[in-house]
Amino acid sequence: MAGYKPVAIQTYPVLGEKITQDTLYWNNYKTPVQIKEFGAVSKVDFSPQPPYNYAVTASSRIHIYGRYSQEPIKTFSRFKDTAYCATFRQDGRLLVAGSEDGGVQLFDISGRAPLRQFEGHTKAVHTVDFTADKYHVVSGADDYTVKLWDIPNSKEILTFKEHSDYVRCGCASKLNPDLFVTGSYDHTVKMFDARTSQSVISVEHGQPVESVLLFPSGGLLVSAGGRYVKVWDMLKGGQLLVSLKNHHKTVTCLCLSSSGQRLLSGSLDRKVKVYSTTSYKVVHSLDYAASILSLALAHEDETIVVGMTNGILSVKHRKSEAKKDSLPRRRRPAYRTFIKGKSYMKQRDDILINRPSKKHLELYDRDLKNFRVSKALDRVLEPSCTIKTPEVTVSIIKELNRRGVLANALAGRDEKEISRVLNFLIRNLSQPRFAPVLINAAEIIIDIYLPVIGQSPVVDKKFLVLQGLVEKEIDYQRELLETLGMMDMLFATMTRKDSTLVWQRTSGGLLENKKVES
Amino acid sequence: MAAGGGGVADPLSPAGVPCAFSPQSQAYFALASTDGHLRVWETANNRLHQEYVPSAHLSGTCTCLAWAPARLQAKETPQRKKRKSEAIGTSNQTDLLALGTAVGSILLYSTVKGELHSKLISGGHDNKVNCIQWHQDNGYLYSCSDDKHIVEWNTQTCKVKCKWKGDNSSVSSLCISPDGKMLLSAGRTIKLWVLETKEIYRHFTGHATPVSSLLFTTIRPPNESQPFDGITGLYFLSGAVHDRLLNVWQVRSENKEKNAVMSFTVTDEPVYIDLTLSENKEEPVKLAVVCKDGQVHLFEHILNGYCKKPLTSNCTIQIATPGKGKKSTPKPIPILAAGFCSDKMSLLLVYGNWFQPTIERVALNSKESHVCLVRDISNCWAPKVETAITKVRTPVMNSEAKVLVPGIPGHQAAIKPALPQTEEIENKRKLGENEVSIEERLGALDIDTRKEKDDLPQTNSFPVLLAQGLESNDFEMLNKVLQTRNLNLIKRTVLRMPLHAVIPLLQELTKRLQGHPNSAVLMVQWLKCVLTVHASYLSTLPDLVPQLGTLYQLMESRVKTFQKLSHLHGKLILLITQVTASEKTKGTTCPAQKAKLVYEEESSEEESDDEIADKDSDENWDEEDEEEKESIKDEDVDEENEEEDEDTEEKDEENGIQELDFCEGVSFYLRLVSFIKSRCKTALVKKFLIWYI
Repeated sequence: MAGYKPVAIQTYPVLGEKITQDTLYWNNYKTPVQIKEFGAVSKVDFSPQPPYNYAVTASSRIHIYGRYSQEPIKTFSRFKDTAYCATFRQDGRLLVAGSEDGGVQLFDISGRAPLRQFEGHTKAVHTVDFTADKYHVVSGADDYTVKLWDIPNSKEILTFKEHSDYVRCGCASKLNPDLFVTGSYDHTVKMFDARTSQSVISVEHGQPVESVLLFPSGGLLVSAGGRYVKVWDMLKGGQLLVSLKNHHKTVTCLCLSSSGQRLLSGSLDRKVKVYSTTSYKVVHSLDYAASILSLALAHEDETIVVGMTNGILSVKHRKSEAKKDSLPRRRRPAYRTFIKGKSYMKQRDDILINRPSKKHLELYDRDLKNFRVSKALDRVLEPSCTIKTPEVTVSIIKELNRRGVLANALAGRDEKEISRVLNFLIRNLSQPRFAPVLINAAEIIIDIYLPVIGQSPVVDKKFLVLQGLVEKEIDYQRELLETLGMMDMLFATMTRKDSTLVWQRTSGGLLENKKVES
Repeated sequence: MAAGGGGVADPLSPAGVPCAFSPQSQAYFALASTDGHLRVWETANNRLHQEYVPSAHLSGTCTCLAWAPARLQAKETPQRKKRKSEAIGTSNQTDLLALGTAVGSILLYSTVKGELHSKLISGGHDNKVNCIQWHQDNGYLYSCSDDKHIVEWNTQTCKVKCKWKGDNSSVSSLCISPDGKMLLSAGRTIKLWVLETKEIYRHFTGHATPVSSLLFTTIRPPNESQPFDGITGLYFLSGAVHDRLLNVWQVRSENKEKNAVMSFTVTDEPVYIDLTLSENKEEPVKLAVVCKDGQVHLFEHILNGYCKKPLTSNCTIQIATPGKGKKSTPKPIPILAAGFCSDKMSLLLVYGNWFQPTIERVALNSKESHVCLVRDISNCWAPKVETAITKVRTPVMNSEAKVLVPGIPGHQAAIKPALPQTEEIENKRKLGENEVSIEERLGALDIDTRKEKDDLPQTNSFPVLLAQGLESNDFEMLNKVLQTRNLNLIKRTVLRMPLHAVIPLLQELTKRLQGHPNSAVLMVQWLKCVLTVHASYLSTLPDLVPQLGTLYQLMESRVKTFQKLSHLHGKLILLITQVTASEKTKGTTCPAQKAKLVYEEESSEEESDDEIADKDSDENWDEEDEEEKESIKDEDVDEENEEEDEDTEEKDEENGIQELDFCEGVSFYLRLVSFIKSRCKTALVKKFLIWYI
C-alpha cells in the first residue's frame, strides 16, 4: 500500500511581537486590583517577612495592606501633614516614616502611636531607611541635610551637610551597617560612611535624582533621575557602568525583582520597564493608567504594587501555577508498550519485517485520500479552522487547485456554504502570504456561480464587500508601486557607492582565495 | 496636554477655585479664577456679566469670596449715605462681594457699579485669608486667616471691630449660626464662639486634617419640647481637607458628647457644598456636595440623632462629553459648583472650565441613583469675547508690570507681543500699554480652539508624541499619531520630527504595512512623506540597504499579485454591475410578467419543466436584447427550439429596455453561454431550475 502523503501545511513566520521568557513571566499576572487612596501614592514598601504585608504612603496616612486584602488592615493617620516614605525594618516589626513638617516617626506594627519621634530636620523629610544593624535610621530632608539617628535613645548621631539641594531619595546598604546612599536634586548621589562622618563616594547623575537603589551585594548602585536610569560600579569607586534612557518622562522609582536578575523602573510616562541586569536591555514593559510614583515587588515577584499620581494603587497578583496541572489529562500508553520488542537483537538468519506504523491522518487528509474533495474543503472551512489556522485552509485550497479539482470542490454549494467561502476570502485575501492562492479561488468561484448571481441578496452582499476589499488592495498596491519607485531612486544613489565597495570586497575575497590556493 | 502626564500642574484644573452663587434667587455666579480674575456670570443665560481684575491680582490671588446677604443692603443705605462720603456711593442697590486674598487683604467689590467698593486692610490679617462670612443682620464681616486670628470687621467704616486668636494653627473655616449670635470656627478643631463676649462655648474634635467647610444644616432643633435658646440642638456639617467624609455634629446642652453624630461619604474631597435648610422636623435636609473629582453627590436625610454608619449619597451626578463615534471615549467634565434653586426642586450646575463655565438648571429626580449628563462643551471652549458683556473694567496697571501668562512652568509659556486690542473697553482711564487681553493670554497658552473641537492633539505636539511613542514603543501613542488621515498634518509632522527618529519610524511602518489595506494605506502616506522629506538624509546612510531591505522586499512581495488582483477586480466589477442592474430592473418589471426565456429540452420531463418555468411570473429573469439573441442563435443551433413570447418581449422593450446598457448585455451573454455549457448534464440543469424556483 503506497503511502498517502499528507498535505504539507506551509508555515509562515508569525508576525508581531516576539514572545520571550520574560514576556510570559511578566504577563502572567491577574487583572489588577485597584484601590483608591486619599492622595498620590508616594511610596509602597513590602515587609521582608511573611506574611509580606505592604505599607502604602499616601497623603497624610500610611495604610498597611495584607497580601490579598483590599481594605487596609492597619492605618497610621497621626500625621499633621503629608507623610513620606514609610519603610519596614528588615524584621518587619518596625516602620519608619518621614513627614512634611520635618519629623521622623517610628511605629511599632502592632501599635498605633509612634514609638519614637526624631526631631531635628527643619523641612520635609522625604526619605528614611533603616541601616543594616537595625538600630539606626537614616533620613534625608529638604533642608539639604542627611541625618543618622539612634533608635534606642532617639538621638541624632551624625549630620551630613554635603548636599546642596533637596535630598529626595536614599537607601541603606544591606550588608554594611555603616554605609548608606542618598540622592539629591543637586544632581549627585553620595555614599556616606558613618565611621568617617563624610561622604566616601560622590557620583554625578546629571539630573535631579528621584530614586536610588543598591544591589543586595552592595557592589552596584542604580540611580534614576530625569529620563535616565544609570548604573554605577561602587567597587570601582563610582564608575558609570550603563546609562539607560528608555522612558520619555522622569523616572520616579526603581525596584529589583526578587531574583535580582531584573531591574524595574517606573516613570511619569505611565510605564514600568523591566531590564535584564546582565544585558541592561529592556525585556518587557508594563502599561498603567496614570503617572507612576512608586513601585514595589513582593517576595518571589508574587505581587506587583504600583502607586500613581491620581491616588490609585494598582495591585497585580501572579496567576497561580497549580491550576494548569489540575486539568485531567488523557492517560497515554505506558512507556513499556513503546519499547516492547525493541530490545530484540537480530540473529544471523532472521529477516526483520517491520510492522508498518500506522500514520495518523488529519480529517481533511482522510477525505482527500478518498477523493471526497468537497467534504475536505468543508472541513477546513469550519470556523474553528478558518479562524485559528487559516494557513491549513489555504494549503488545502492550494492542494485542490494542484489536483485540478478545486472547481469541483467549490461547485454545487448553497447560499450558506458560498457565503462561508466568501467570508474566508474576505478575511484573508489581503494577506500577501495567502493572496496568490485565494485570488485563484475567487476567480473560480466567480466562474462557477456567475449564472446564479442576483439570486441571493446575502451572497450578492458578500461579493460587494469582496469587490470593495479588492479595490482597496489595488489602490494600496498602486501606492506601494509608487513608493517602490521612490525607493529605487534612493537605492540607485546608494548602489553607485555600494558597487565600488562590493567590488573592492570581492576583489579582496579573490585575493584571499588565491592565497588559500597557493 | 496631549500626552496626558500627571495632571498635577494643570493650570486649568478646576478643583478648589473659590466661587459662589449670589444670595437672592441665584441670579449671578461669581468665580475667582487662579489667574486672578473675578468673573460674574449670569446664571439664567450663561453670559459673562462682569469681569474684574484686582490691581494686585498676581501677588495676592483671591482665596475666598462671599456675597453680602440680601437683606442688608436694602435697609441700611439711607443712614450710610449721611455718614459716609462718596466712597461708598450713591447707588443703594449695591450687591457687595467680599474677596479674601492670599496676602491678607479683603476687597469689597460692588457688582452693580462694577468697581471696587472698598478695601479692608488696616489692622487685619497678615497672611492668607481662608474664609469670609457676612453677618446676616448687622453688616459685619467675619474673616479668618492662616495667621491664626479671626477678625470682625465693620464694613461701613471699613475698620476692624475686634480681632482675636481663634486657634493654635491656621483657622480655615467660619460659619455664623442661624440666629446670628454664635460663630463656628474651624482649624484643627471646631470651636463655637459666643459673638458678644468672644468666648468659647463648645469644642468639637474629630477631623484629622484641617476643616475646609462648615455649614449649619438646621435652623430649629428637632424636638420642640425644650425651650430653644438659639443654638442648642442644632446640627451643622463639616468637611475636611483630604477627607472623603462629611461629618454632622449636634450642639448639645451638656458638653459631654464630642463625637460627630453622623457622617456622609463622598468619592473625593468636597470642594463646594450647598444645602436647603430644613424648616421643620419632617422636612429632610437636601445636600449637594461637589467633589474634587468633579462629581456632585446629593443627599436627602432627616437629621435625627446618632447614626453609626456613614451615609452614602442618594444620587450622583456626573457630566461627560459625548463620545464622537466609536473611537473617542467620553471624557468627564468637572462640575465646579452646584446650588439649589429657591424652589428646592432643581439644581444649578456649573461645569466646564473656569474661564468659560457653563451654568445649567437641572431638575432633581431622586429616583435615579446615578445620573450622567452628556453635554458637548466643545463649542464653549472657544474663549470668545461676548458682545453682551455689560461692563468690562480693567484697573490701572503699572507700565513696568509684567503680565505673566498662566501656564505650565517651563512649557513654552511664550510671551507674545501685545497685539492691538480688539475688545471694546471703556477706556476712560489711561491704560498701561502692556495690558494683554484674555484672548491673547489664551493664545499664549497655545490652545488652538479649532483643534480642540476636533478632539485631536495639536499639530505641534505630533512630532513630540511620535518621537516619544517610538522611543517607548507605546502602541496607543503611535496609533494616535499614525492614524491621522490629514495629509498636511502628516507632512508637517514628518518635517518637524527629530532626525534620529526617522529609522525607528521606518521600522515601525514596516511592521504596520503588513496589515489590512484599510490601515496600511495610511502608512504608505507616511512612508512616502518620510522618503520625500528625508531623502537626502536617507541617502547618506551607509547601511541604507540593510535598513530598508526588509521593507523593500515586503512591498515587492505584496505588489506581485497586482496583475492577478486587477484581473479579479475586473471580474468582480462586472459581477457587481450585473447585480445592481438586475436590482434596478426588478423595480421596473411589472409583476404579471412572464418568463422571457424558457428552455425546452427533449426529454420526458419537458412538460413539467415548462410548467415550472411558466409559473415563474415574478422571477427576476433578465430581459434580453434582440441582437444578443441573434448572436446566440448563430452560435448554437440548439437555441432555436426556444420558445419565444413575442408579445411580452415587445412590452418589455417599451418599459424596461431603456435601462439595459451594453455591460449588462455582455453579462447576459456570458450567463447564457455558461448555461448552455452546463446543459450537457441534465442533473445540473435541473438543479439550476430548482434554484430558480
